[in-house]
Amino acid sequence: MSSSDTVKNEVFSQIARLLGDKSPPVSDEMLLIGSNSALDSMKLVELCLALEDRAADLGFEFDWTSEAAMSRSRSMFRTAGSLAAEFNSQMEASK
Amino acid sequence: MIVVTGATRGLGRAICDRLLLKNFPVFGLARNVDNIPFPCISCDVSSFDSVKEAAQYFKKNSIKVTGLINVAGIALMNLAIMTPPAATQSIINTNLLGTIYCCQLFAPLMLRNRQGSIINFSTIAVALGLKGESIYVASKAGVEGFTRSFAREVADFEVKVNCIAPGPIDTSLLNGITPAQIEKIVSQQIFPKQFTTESVADLVELLLDPRSGPLSGQVLYVGGV
Repeated sequence: MSSSDTVKNEVFSQIARLLGDKSPPVSDEMLLIGSNSALDSMKLVELCLALEDRAADLGFEFDWTSEAAMSRSRSMFRTAGSLAAEFNSQMEASK
Repeated sequence: MIVVTGATRGLGRAICDRLLLKNFPVFGLARNVDNIPFPCISCDVSSFDSVKEAAQYFKKNSIKVTGLINVAGIALMNLAIMTPPAATQSIINTNLLGTIYCCQLFAPLMLRNRQGSIINFSTIAVALGLKGESIYVASKAGVEGFTRSFAREVADFEVKVNCIAPGPIDTSLLNGITPAQIEKIVSQQIFPKQFTTESVADLVELLLDPRSGPLSGQVLYVGGV
């Protein structure tokens, strides 16, 4: 398994933890923002805090206030897959 | 730990002194931190990166933050049409963006603990729409609006956000304002008298007290309007 797959699994498992037992499996396409988001705003903040902690464990700083968080079409939070990709990208950039 | 911006002089220093007197752990943020008799680090609130660096200091050192008091601010008494753009930007950057940056970057430290009290600072000039203070008023009206909305964003985490809006308090911010001008402003308050830093510190203590838990998103006008 590649490191990006490992990171993706970690991000997805954090999302699954916040969604609880009765939620559908986390997929790349699962929406994280907008009216059809799987997470409410509180859980989205909790996800950010959890990923920030995980990033610290991995030795980098996860910046969720970057410009990439702003646009609905480009936001790192638009889907579970895009969030995992951005988390991995920030980790790789820190190396 | 209670974090206070603008901690080294004026109202910020008076608030720090009161909190220290009441045995609150206080940590100051200010641009110049020379000869300050309590823990303090240098921070320019108008710079996102500077505030971020300060917030990281608390996280890296595992300092639990339970309160944030955003006092840092600058005043401007001038007609809007006569105000240079650099002065306008400075007022907005320090008063409004500075408050927003500190809330953005320090609130997560409180959200983790599901506990905290954030106190922002406005001015009674917002409610009174004082002539000659329109840009200052604009910056502080922004702080009031931000306070109300941000309070809802962090309420799920038991963090409360309120705003204190003093009338003319005797600090260096009042330099250049005549006694007659102060009297005119004070006369428009419900309690038509000039209050002191002590009255403001009383409200700060109230908002830090767990018994003020149900209060959030509120603007408290010192003297009343």
